[in-house]
Amino acid sequence: MALANPMRPYLGRLVGVRNLATGIKLFQVELLEPEGKAAFADYQPGQFAFLSAFGAGEAPFGLASTPARGPYLEFAVNAIGHVTNTLHTLDVGDPVGVRGPLGRGFPMEQLRGRNIVIIGGGIGGAPLRPVIQTILDRREDYGHLTILWAARSPDLLIFTEEFDEWRSAWATEFHVTVDRGDERWRDNVGLITQLLEKVAPSPQNAVAITCGPPIMIHFVFLTLKKLGFSPDQMLTTLEARMHCGIGKCGRCNLGEKFICTDGPVFWQYEIAGFLEGFL
Amino acid sequence: MRFTTLDRLKAWLDRLAQEVDLVAPCDVDGHVLYRPVSSSEEVLLDYERPELPAKDYLFPATEVLLRIEQRGKDVALEEVLPDRRQVLFGIRPCDAHGLAAIDALFLHQAPPDRYYQHHRERTTLVGMACIRMWEGCFCTSMGGGPTDATYLDVLIRPGPEGFFLQPVTPRGVAVLEGLEVTEPKGEPLPVEEYNPPVPVTPTAKWRAMFEGNIWMRHGERCLSCRICTYVCPTCRCFDVADRVVDIRSGVTRIERIRAWDACTSPNYRRVAGGHNPRPTNWERLRNRFLCKFCYYPEDFGPLGCVGCGRCIVSCPVDIDITEVMRDVAQK
Repeated sequence: MALANPMRPYLGRLVGVRNLATGIKLFQVELLEPEGKAAFADYQPGQFAFLSAFGAGEAPFGLASTPARGPYLEFAVNAIGHVTNTLHTLDVGDPVGVRGPLGRGFPMEQLRGRNIVIIGGGIGGAPLRPVIQTILDRREDYGHLTILWAARSPDLLIFTEEFDEWRSAWATEFHVTVDRGDERWRDNVGLITQLLEKVAPSPQNAVAITCGPPIMIHFVFLTLKKLGFSPDQMLTTLEARMHCGIGKCGRCNLGEKFICTDGPVFWQYEIAGFLEGFL
Repeated sequence: MRFTTLDRLKAWLDRLAQEVDLVAPCDVDGHVLYRPVSSSEEVLLDYERPELPAKDYLFPATEVLLRIEQRGKDVALEEVLPDRRQVLFGIRPCDAHGLAAIDALFLHQAPPDRYYQHHRERTTLVGMACIRMWEGCFCTSMGGGPTDATYLDVLIRPGPEGFFLQPVTPRGVAVLEGLEVTEPKGEPLPVEEYNPPVPVTPTAKWRAMFEGNIWMRHGERCLSCRICTYVCPTCRCFDVADRVVDIRSGVTRIERIRAWDACTSPNYRRVAGGHNPRPTNWERLRNRFLCKFCYYPEDFGPLGCVGCGRCIVSCPVDIDITEVMRDVAQK
């Protein structure tokens, strides 16, 4: 029955809840039903799922975990609306629902052998974490890894406790910036596009993957273009307040495209050909 | 053509009302609307285009998808798929055409919408031909017509002394089994009045018009009131939310519901962070028209408009879809 109705969530239980940043928590979900476990046995970086807070509703989130690192699903949730604020009231042991995995993820196989540049802004870094983890776990399959991480302020940076792992990994460089620092901040200050220009990763055999607010994605694409990246060397993942995730509800259309089923991961050349922009 | 009299038709309707959920055009405080009926006395047989389409009976304006019961940390989910058979009697050909357009997405595009499919499999469409085209109607331009039987299980055509019955599908043959027929008298009433045709432009030209200024011209007076999507037989966007029904002795009963949504609503494309890629009335109206004449046919096959004309007569600021169609055709 669970498999037959794509609108029915799999039952899950929170096994971990921790603060990632101001207003942002990471939820770890254990799926309870065999159908749910089977559905999520092999989900891909960039895919998304709906997380239910029963009584409040459900909302779509990019999966922030990989199956290779453990059986629990992870979701980075910013308390910003009804569902997300209700999720923030939940704790370990509380029931949740999960629908998915949904959408087209990042083409990790196609990216083998390429140098990868990750450019994550704010909570937009969450769907990029599984890409980083996949590369680090299969390090010999990919070339040089450059990670650019950003937030509006230091307290909004996510996955800070993983920076050391990323920084110290083989053939990996890590850079971080904030729009506005504070008295303890000693690292870069400025927009991620400024950091990108400063780091200036080579487009040679490279693919850049970015996610963040729409305006950031727009300017990151422009900056990458200046650095010599072509449209088939830039990937992003888009969001919308979807209600079904299976191409029915209409809520995520960009012209005749649906973010849920055509995406959420898109190449820049695909976006450039869209009738209606995401901005 | 099979024929029956008013009395026999009414006797049949009364029996149907006992056996299935019967929905038929009714007079509701002076408004013609499809409504559940329990007797033929409530059923209108000579009526205008109902003010709302029939989609509500297959894709309810508000529908419970799941019942959720939370007891402490334990949750039980129950799918809500009521096992009712229904006959939609007297639906107009345009409304059946509208359901066919929704079928293209909800039935024929995988995965099927489980709820719509469930209702659709249990529904028989008994249509009543129109004897004229009403205000705003342009079905003949959209591949339909006042006597079009294509998307129905049965078409009934009124005559001067009774009703002519045209079964279209096996399901239509089956529903007519209990209806006593007699020797035909006279001919089906002809369609008294046709409205002038409206040009239908290929999707590629609508696509090419995306950046045109006609959207601002038609859309600047749009109020984002969403009535056009509410009365539309093909608009099918939806929202999903939970509502807590009650909390009693440690048990929380919740319903996960879906409700009709509208792309003309200001928040339709707004994301959680506040960004809205379609912030103006005219951009949202452009999306609605392009959905009907470009996106929906390109993605799913049929046009997203059947020419029922309801959005034209309902719009409080006289935005007229046929004017937009003529503008696009003339460019």
